[in-house]
Parts: sequence; structure tokens; C-alpha cells
Amino acid sequence: MLLLSLNNVTKTFGGLVAVAGFSAGVTRGEVVGLIGPNGAGKTTVFNLVTGSIKPDAGFVFFAGHSISGLRPHRIVKLGIARTFQTIRLFPHMTVLENVLSGCHCRLSAGISATFLRLPSQRREEKRALLAAMAELDFVGLAPKWNLQAGGLAYGDQRRLEIARALATEPKLVILDEPAGGMNEPETQALTGLIAQIRQRDITIMLIEHDMGFVMKVCDKLLVMENGALIAEGTPEDVRRDPKVIEAYLGVDED
Amino acid sequence: MSFKLSLRALWDRRPRRLPAGIPLWAEIVGVLAFFSLPWIFRAIGLATSAYWLEVLNTVGLYAILALSLNVILGHCGMFHMGHAAFFAVGAYVTAVLNLNYGWAILATLPVAGLAAGLFAAAVAGPIIHLRGDYLLIVTIGIVEIIRIALTNDIFGLTGGPNGLMGIGRPSIFGWRLTRPWHFFYLIWTGVALTLILFHFLEHSRFGRALKFIKEDPVAAEGIGINTTRLKLLAFVIGAVWAGFAGTIFASRMRTISPDSFNFGESVILFTIVILGGSGSQRGVLLGSFLVMGLPEVFRKFQDSRLLVFGAALVVMMIFRPQGLIPPRPSKYSLPAPWDRYDGATPPAPGGGRGPGESPPWGKGGTLKGPVYRQSLAPTDTRGPLGADGAAKKGPSGLSPQTGGRDPQEES
Ligand SMILES: Nc1ncnc2c1ncn2[C@@H]1O[C@H](COP(=O)(O)OP(=O)(O)OP(=O)(O)O)[C@@H](O)[C@H]1O
Ligand SMILES: [Mg+2]
Repeated sequence: MLLLSLNNVTKTFGGLVAVAGFSAGVTRGEVVGLIGPNGAGKTTVFNLVTGSIKPDAGFVFFAGHSISGLRPHRIVKLGIARTFQTIRLFPHMTVLENVLSGCHCRLSAGISATFLRLPSQRREEKRALLAAMAELDFVGLAPKWNLQAGGLAYGDQRRLEIARALATEPKLVILDEPAGGMNEPETQALTGLIAQIRQRDITIMLIEHDMGFVMKVCDKLLVMENGALIAEGTPEDVRRDPKVIEAYLGVDED
Repeated sequence: MSFKLSLRALWDRRPRRLPAGIPLWAEIVGVLAFFSLPWIFRAIGLATSAYWLEVLNTVGLYAILALSLNVILGHCGMFHMGHAAFFAVGAYVTAVLNLNYGWAILATLPVAGLAAGLFAAAVAGPIIHLRGDYLLIVTIGIVEIIRIALTNDIFGLTGGPNGLMGIGRPSIFGWRLTRPWHFFYLIWTGVALTLILFHFLEHSRFGRALKFIKEDPVAAEGIGINTTRLKLLAFVIGAVWAGFAGTIFASRMRTISPDSFNFGESVILFTIVILGGSGSQRGVLLGSFLVMGLPEVFRKFQDSRLLVFGAALVVMMIFRPQGLIPPRPSKYSLPAPWDRYDGATPPAPGGGRGPGESPPWGKGGTLKGPVYRQSLAPTDTRGPLGADGAAKKGPSGLSPQTGGRDPQEES
């Protein structure tokens, strides 16, 4: 069953065609890697899926809904959460508050219940705290809940961003270069974390340049070049695909 | 060099958060003493008692207004310099309903708030997405539009440049409020209510969402917060409150004119919030006293007091741009089983793990499976750990969260 599908999605910035008639699908339960050289349009594809930018043409479907053109918060509510290529936490707020931001879309206390601090609102706040702490524990940051997010080590910040995304109770998480800037042990640990996210029946889509990592964690790879899909398949297939080798190594002109 | 260093040492040793050191009992005594001021004034036979009460009433009214602006400017970070417009709508609605239709003043209060809120929703809709300086300019325009509309006797109701006169007094259970000390209690009860309600607002999902929007609107939207709706909500709540303040103002002054709601009033409110500490209710309250009260204290110095006041503002903004009392970080007390981390001195920010420890997330939490995947949906009354607490203990009875390590041991 296709959880996410992109049909002929196109996006141009001025004269530059960043994504050109891109079509692909993601099945529930998979870990899908989106790879390609710098500037291939990978992040733009993620931005189109999460609603940060709107496609010029084409459609995006998610779990039976057409989501092209929806605002990002609506898409999050439908079940797609993301992390950013350049970390985008709320740096001056605590680790816990950062995760609570992800809980927001699953809370429903109204404004009058808030002003009167009704018991229902207080119970919901407590549920949110429990859920946020559980997510922090999941990524191993629970003891640091009260620190300022901006002061965390780089790897911790990446994990916190993942916890924040998980707090939205997503069906699909989209990770833009989750291992970017990580050292070897941290990347190792990330592999474990991705396996655990998967155990929670959450589908994962990720962009990554670290080929060793991608080959290890992904079931399926999508390869992009110049905004178009040039290859698709298991890591093994893709590794042997001449078009992919060409895209990554360039053509030997001799 | 050494002089500089010792100054530095003094500066470092200054009390970090002034009011945090005040014990609760002292705060209660302070509040009670404040609310007995009319009696104290009478007991000591203060000749200018009525004058000082009027000063305090002005401070209180501006405190209500500034606290409502604080929701928009302080919490949500929207540069809104048109708050006097909402204040004006409230005051004129009360005046017109009272003078033309004979409504009791307090009966006009909800209508004044509603009218100001609707007006805010109408004008803010198209401009809410504007950033910082652009929003500032547009909101200045809104005050001007209101002032000019009122001056031109819009709908033939507002009395033109002379305004409206003879507005009635509020009465509570047949008790007519006329004297300054009557208004003292009305206004300062209003301040107290405002402080409490906005405190609840601040420490809720709404207050948090406003802070996320202030910190990074793109990340906030990307993590599921409807930024447009929440900004609009902040605007409307602030405006409703300003409308309420307008009702009190109209019945206190009995005469209102377009000049009472000019751009200068908006600037004063903006100043109170920024000077006191935007996002901090204590700061805004202090700011109201300083901006509206202090100049009265130094009235005998005539015009030079305003010069000194202006200079003080400049100095303040250079040396303490975050305001006199910046907002405190929100405190959360963790519910069980997470309260184990409550007192834990966490590892230093940015500090790594202890020597020889593997990254905890490689092993991951042990709260997995269906127990973990509890939804936050309101129908779900079970806690994330299950109603029967089945998952509260890990397999070995040790901490289920850290693979058996006690987090307290780390520190
Ligand atoms: N908002 C934008 N405005 C203009 N051009 C953009 C914008 N976003 C992306 N681009 C351009 O679109 C192209 C694709 O960018 P994109 O960020 O999707 O690449 P990428 O595959 O994620 O690359 P990288 O691996 O370096 O992150 C690039 O040429 C980039 O300069
Ligand atoms: Mg990218």
C-alpha cells in the first residue's frame, strides 16, 4: 500500500528547474533513501512533501489525501513530520519545550478551558509532558530535559529534532541529512535509532550523503539528478546501476 | 583594567532575578498593603490622597493595556504599535451605548471587548503575515485611521474632534463608583485578574505556541503549529482586553475624545512592554509604574523630568535590552515516572557523555511496542504508560528509561 506518492511534481525557482516531473512512491513500513549529488533537488522534494513550498505542477498524495498546496501544519496533522537539513530547533527554549512543540498539534484544549485552567486542560498538559518525556527517553535525551536546546552538542541537537518530529505522532518521518556532521559512533547510533523508529510502525524517508549509512539502513533508494529521478530500487541494484555511477563519478571522457 | 574588572565582578554578583528572591509571604503582604493604600492614605491624612490614587489608577489602566499588548508583542513577538486603536474602539462603544442607548456601563463591557476583538480580527487578517518593521508601520496606520475616523464623526456617533461627554459611572450591585478610591479597586482588581488569566494563557499550549512562533515561525509551522491562526488569536485576545480597558477609561474620565487615543499612547504602551521586559508580566507591571508613575513623582522638576526620563530609557536600552525583568524560563515539574529527573543536575550544556559510556540512544529507550504508541488524542484517558502501570517497571525493575543506569548517578 502506497503511503506517499508524488505524481509528476515540478518546481522551478526563477529559471532554474529544481524538480522536474518527479514521480515516486513510498510504501508503508519502508525506509526510503533519497540520494543524489549536491543541488539535485532532494531537499526541494522534501519541502514539496511537507508543504514548505508548493509545486508548480503535479500532485502529492498521502494516506488517501491530496496534500499538494496544503499548509505545513495541516500536513503535520495528517501525519508527516520532518527534520531540517540545517538544524532548526528553538535554541533559547529548553529541550522539553522543544519536544512539546511537536505535541501541540495533537492537543485540543480550547482557549476558554485554558483561561479557566479547567481540569481537562490540566490533564491534557500532563499527558503532553508524559508523551514529550517518553520521546526524549526514546532518543536518550531524557536527563537533559531542562537544558537550553541551543547549548546541546551537535549530535544531541539532531536527536532532539528527531524527538520533536516523533512527538507529532507521525505516520511518516522525513529526515534531511540526519547524519550530517556526525562522527562515526554517532552515525552508528543513528542506525540503531532508525531501526527503532521503524519498529514503531513509522515509515521513514531520508536524504543522506554517507553511502555506507544509506546502504545499511534503507530498503529502497531513489536517485535524483538535476531534479529528475534517474534510478530506483534496492541499494544493491542502485549501486550497480550505470546511470547512478555516471551521475556520481561523471562520464569518463577519454 | 582592574577597575573594569572589579566593576565586572560587581555586575556578575548582582542578583540575577530580582523578584525571584522575594518569598511568597512577602509578596502576599505586599499585595495586601497595596490594596489597603486608600486606607493608609486616609490614616496618615495625606492631603493629596485623591491625586495619588488617580496616579495609581492611571498606572493600573496602562498596566492592563500593556499586559494585553504583551501577549502580542512580548509573547508572540509581533511589532504592534497600534494598540491604542483597540482601546479607542472599546471606549467609544461604551460611550455610545451608554449615552445614546442608556446601557449601564458594566453591561457595555463585554460588547466593548467583543467590538475591539472583531475589529482586530478584521484588520489583522490581511496584515498578520507581515514581518517586524512592516507590521509596525501598518499598525501605526491603523491608529491613525481610527483617530481620523473618530475626528470626522464617523456614523454621526462619535462627536467629532470634541468627542463624547457625560459618560455615566459604573455601578456594582447598586453601588455607584465615583470616587478615585472606588476606581482604584475596580482597576486594580482588573489588573489582578489580567495577571492571573494571562499567566494561565502563558503556561499553556497556546502560550508556548506563541513563543515558538516568536523564536522561529518557519520551524513552528513545520512542526504543526497553525502560525496564522495563533498570531490572529494573540491579536484578538490583546484587542479584547484593550477594549475592556476602554470601557473603564471612558467611565473614569466621563469624557473621551480622539486625542486620548493617538499614536503617542501606542508608543507609551510599546515602551512599557519593552522597558519592563517583553514577555514578562512582572516586568510589564514594573514598566507601567516606571513609565506612568515615576514622572508624577518627579513632577516638581517640571519639564526636565521628561528629559531625564528619556535619557534613562536610552541608557536602559543600551545596558539591558532584554528589559528590567526579563521573562523567566518556564518551569515544569515532571509527572511520575519522570520526576526522577526533577532534581537531577543535568550534564553541562554541550557536555558529552561520561567516559566509557556508549551513547544511550544506540540501545534506545525500553518503552517500546504498543505501550509506547499512546496517542495524545483527547479520547485517550490512559497515560502513556498504560492504565495499569504495567510498563512502569523495566524488565529488571531498574530504570526502564536508561537501560538500568540511574540518571542521578551520572551527575
Ligand atoms: N528557495 C529556493 N530559491 C531558489 N533556488 C532554490 C531554492 N531552494 C533550492 N533552490 C535551488 O534548487 C536546486 C536544488 O536544491 P536542493 O536544496 O533541493 O538540493 P539538494 O539536492 O538538497 O542539495 P544538497 O545535497 O546540497 O542539500 C539548487 O540549485 C538550489 O540552489
Ligand atoms: Mg539538501
